[in-house]
Amino acid sequence: MTGATPPLLSIRDLRIVFATAAGPARAVDGVTLAVYPGETVGIVGESGSGKSVMALSILRLIRPPGRIEPGSSVTFDGLDLVSCDVTSLRAIRGRRIGMVFQEPMTALNPVFTVGDQIAEVIRVHEPTTNAAAWARAVAMLRAVGVPAAADRARQYPHELSGGTRQRVMLAMALVLRPGLLIADEPTTALDVTVQAQILALLADLQQEMGMAVLLITHDLAIVATVASRVIVMYGGQAVEEAPVEELFAAAHHPYTEGLLRAIPRPDPESGRAGRLAVIPGTVPPATAWPSGCRFHDRCPFAWDRCRDEMPPLYALSATHASRCHLAAEPARRTAPRAGEMAHTEPRS
Amino acid sequence: MIGWSLDAGPWRAIWRRFRRNRGAMAGLVVIIAIAAVSIGAPLVAPYSPNAILDMVALKSQAPSLAHPFGTDPASRDVLSRVLFGGRVSLAIAVLAMLTAATVGTMYGAISGYVGGVLDDVLMRVTDACLSIPRILLLLTICALWGRPSLGALVLVLGLTSWFGVSRLVRAEIMALRTREWVVAARALGASDAHVLFRHLLPNIASPVIVATALGIGNVVLLEAGLSYLGVGVQPPFASWGNIMQDGADEVRALWWLSVFPGLAIVSAVIAINAVGDGLREAADPRQ
Amino acid sequence: MIASPTAPLVAARDLSVHFPITHGVFGSPLGWVRAVDGVSFTVSRGETLALVGESGSGKTTTARALLRLIPATSGDVSFDGVDVRALRAAPLRRLRRRMQLVFQDPYSSLNPRRTVGEAVREGLLVHRLADGSAADDRVRNALEEVGLRPDFAHRYPYELSGGQRQRVGIARALVVEPEFLVCDEPVSALDVSVQAQIINLLQDLQRDHHLTYLYIAHDLAVVAQVATRVAVMYFGRIVELAPAAALFHDPLMPYTRALLASVLVPDPMARRAHTVLAGESPSPTAPPPGCAFYPRCPDPRKDAACTTVVPPLEEKAPGRFAACIKEPVRLARIPSHPSPDPQP
Repeated sequence: MTGATPPLLSIRDLRIVFATAAGPARAVDGVTLAVYPGETVGIVGESGSGKSVMALSILRLIRPPGRIEPGSSVTFDGLDLVSCDVTSLRAIRGRRIGMVFQEPMTALNPVFTVGDQIAEVIRVHEPTTNAAAWARAVAMLRAVGVPAAADRARQYPHELSGGTRQRVMLAMALVLRPGLLIADEPTTALDVTVQAQILALLADLQQEMGMAVLLITHDLAIVATVASRVIVMYGGQAVEEAPVEELFAAAHHPYTEGLLRAIPRPDPESGRAGRLAVIPGTVPPATAWPSGCRFHDRCPFAWDRCRDEMPPLYALSATHASRCHLAAEPARRTAPRAGEMAHTEPRS
Repeated sequence: MIGWSLDAGPWRAIWRRFRRNRGAMAGLVVIIAIAAVSIGAPLVAPYSPNAILDMVALKSQAPSLAHPFGTDPASRDVLSRVLFGGRVSLAIAVLAMLTAATVGTMYGAISGYVGGVLDDVLMRVTDACLSIPRILLLLTICALWGRPSLGALVLVLGLTSWFGVSRLVRAEIMALRTREWVVAARALGASDAHVLFRHLLPNIASPVIVATALGIGNVVLLEAGLSYLGVGVQPPFASWGNIMQDGADEVRALWWLSVFPGLAIVSAVIAINAVGDGLREAADPRQ
Repeated sequence: MIASPTAPLVAARDLSVHFPITHGVFGSPLGWVRAVDGVSFTVSRGETLALVGESGSGKTTTARALLRLIPATSGDVSFDGVDVRALRAAPLRRLRRRMQLVFQDPYSSLNPRRTVGEAVREGLLVHRLADGSAADDRVRNALEEVGLRPDFAHRYPYELSGGQRQRVGIARALVVEPEFLVCDEPVSALDVSVQAQIINLLQDLQRDHHLTYLYIAHDLAVVAQVATRVAVMYFGRIVELAPAAALFHDPLMPYTRALLASVLVPDPMARRAHTVLAGESPSPTAPPPGCAFYPRCPDPRKDAACTTVVPPLEEKAPGRFAACIKEPVRLARIPSHPSPDPQP
C-alpha cells in the first residue's frame, strides 16, 4: 500500500537502550518501518528480538532504565511522538492510538468493573456524562461480541474468562475509534478456538472502522492469517520485510527460512518420525550482539563478510527487503547444511 | 554434596542492591559501630561498670571531661555502664530473636506444609497468643519469675517473639508448596522431609532473615522497658534499660542517666530497622 | 476397558478428580469442580499418547493424578500391572522412579537456589542410585544427552534461557532412567525455533531409551508431529480417542473438527480466520446437564436427548472412540487444510 498516501505511523531509525548491570542492552537497534492507513502490519520475532519493546516505545511507555536514543523518530500523523509534550501524547494514547496487551489479567485493574474501565477511557478524553460514557461502554462491549453486555459490564475482571477479558481489552482500546491499533501478542494466552474468534473479531472491527493494525507476535501462522505486510525482527533489527504472500512463498533471509521450516505442520503426512528443521544455537543477549550480521553465528550460509560487515536492508524489490549479504552475492546460497541439525547446543 | 546453597549467586546480588541503599548502609555502619564498642567494652570503657568510684565527690555528677556521660547515684561511670550495657542489651536481643526465629520457623513450616486440620489448630493457638498484649505477658512472666537471669530473659523474650515469624513462614511455605519445582521434587520421589528441609526452608531464608533483623530492634525496646521497670535485667548486670531506672526518680535533675542510654537505644533501634528494611528491599527483586 | 493390542504400560480407568468448593474455615463443600470426570485410557509401551484440550479441559490434572501428585477422587490407575492408588509411601516412591514428569514452564520448574548439577543429581540422591563421582558421571552424561555442555552443571537457572532450562528439566527426569515420561506441554512456553529443538530431542530420547510418552498439549500442530494416538479432552472428559493419522484426516466429533479448523496454518493462501466455534468452555462450577459440549455443538442433529445423559466414550470403529450419542458422520478430509508448501 505504498504510494501517494502518507504513512499513518512512521518509525525511523528507532534505537532503545537499557542500562543493565551487564552493560547497555541495545534492545532495539535501528528499526525503520511505516504503517499506512487501513492496513495490517505483522511484526514477527522471538523473545529477544526487541519487538515488544518497540511496540511500547511508540506510545513512549518505556521507562528507565530503558530509554529512546536521540536520533530516533516516531511520527504519527505528523506529530513526533518521541519529542512531543506529555499533553499531546496523552491526547493520542487511547484516543488515536489504541493498545492491547498479551495478558489481560494484569492489564485490567482488578478493583474496577470492566464497564467502568471502558467508560474511563471515554471520560478521560471527551467531556461527557457518566451515564453517556457507561452507555457507550456497554455498546462497545456488545460490538466486541460479549454476550449479555449490560450485565457483563458490571462484573470484575476476575469473574470473566480469558477470552472475555481480551474482548474487554479490545473494547477499551477501540471505544474511541483510533486510527491505529497496536496489538502485542493479543492471543498468545488464549485457547485455539478463542484465538480464532478474537482474530475474526479483529478483522471485522478493522474493516468496519477502517483502522490500521500493528500486530506483534511470535506466531507466523497468525500473521499468515491476518497481516498484509510482515516485518521479521531479529537482534533488535528488522531483517526482512515483505508482503505476506511473498514472505511465505519466497522468504529471503535465512532466519525467516529457518523459522518457517521449524514450524510443525498439522499434517501427519510429513511423517511422525520426521524431524523438524531447527535453527542451531540460541538468541544472543542484547548486551552482546555478535559483530557484523547478528545472525551470522547461526546461519548456514555465513561467510567472512557476514562476520565483519553489518548488512544493510537490501531492497530486493519495491516491496521486499532483506538484511542479508546474500542479496548482494546470491551465489553464496549453497544447499543448506542438512536442515535437520543436531539438537545440541553449540558454544553458547 | 547437596547442601544449602547459601553461597554466591543470589546473595551477592542482594548485597549489591543493599549497598546502593544509603539509609540502609548508614544504619549498617551505625549498628556495627555500636556493636563494636559494646563487644570491645572491656577494652574501650574507662572503668569497670560496677566500679564504685569516689562515693562522695563523684556521686551523681553531671557529664564532664573526666566522665563524658556523668556518674550515677552509686558513683559509677555512666559511659562505662552504657558500653557494657550495650553488650547485654544487644546480646539478649540477638539471642532472643534467634530463638524466636528457630521456633517460629519450625512451627510455621510444619503448619504450612502439612496444612489441613493441624494447620488450623496451630494457627488458632498462634492467634490466641498474638491477641495477648506482649508487654502485659512479659511483665506478668518476669514479675512472677522474681529475678530472672539473663538466660531466662533470653528465653522469655524469645518465646514470646516467634508468633509473627511463624505466620510469615507458614504463608511462604504455603505459597512455595505449589511451586512447580516443589512438585518436581515430589515427582522425583522425594519424601516430605526432604522437600521441606532441602527445598522449602532454604528458599524462605531471606524473608525470615529480614523478619529476624527487624525483630531484634523490637526486642531491644522490650528489654529496655522491662529493665526500666525493674523486672528485666537485674544488677549486677547493666543494661540500657536499667541504667535509666537509676535516674528514674529525678529525671530532670539527673538527666544524663536517661538521655545517654536513651540515645543508645534509639540509635541502635533505628539503625537495626534501617538495615532490616534495606535487607527486605534488597531481597525482593523487582524487575 | 479401552485397550490397545499389546499389554498397556499405563492404564487409567474411570479416573476422576473433583475439587471441593469450600466455604468458611471448617465449612463443608458447597459443590464440586469436576476437573476430571471419568477418564479412561491406556498407554502401550513405546507409544506416544497425546492428551489434547483447551484450558479447563482437565488434561494437566489428569496427568498429575496419574502420577499421584494430586489425589484422585475415584477410579483406578495402574502402572505395569501395579495399582498406583493403593500403594503406600515407600513403594510409591520407588515407583516414581519409573514414571517421570517434564514440566511446562521452564521458568518455574527449577529451584532457583539450586545449581543445574544439583537439580539433575537430586533424583539419584532421593533413590540412592549413585553418589560421589559415580553420580557426577551420570549427571554429566544426562546433560550431554540433552545437548548441554557439562560445565552447565555449575550454573544457576537464572543464567539459562528457556530452552536450556527445559533441557535441564528433561535431564533431571532422565537421570533416574524412567520407563514412562509425562510431558506436560513441554514446548508451549518456548520460542518456535527452540520448540523444534526440544521436540526433536524428545523424539530422539524416546527412540534411544525406549520410552513411553504421555504428551499433553494444546497445540495440535506439535501433536501431529509426535503422537501415535490422540485423546481429545473437553470439560474433564475424553470426547475422542483415535490413532493420530485417523484423527487428523477424519475426526468424528464436532469438537475435534472445530479444534482442527481453528488451528491457524502458516500459509497466507489458506482460508482466512473465521469463527468456527462460538462461545467458550462452560464454567467449571456450572456444568451443563448431559453432554458438556451441547451448548456449542454445531451438529444439526443435536436435540434434547443430548442433555439427558453424559455420552460415554464408545468404540465407533476399530480403534476409534467417540463420546456422542449420535452416530458420527464420517467426513472426507477437510478441504480447508491444504498441504503445506514443501520447503527446499
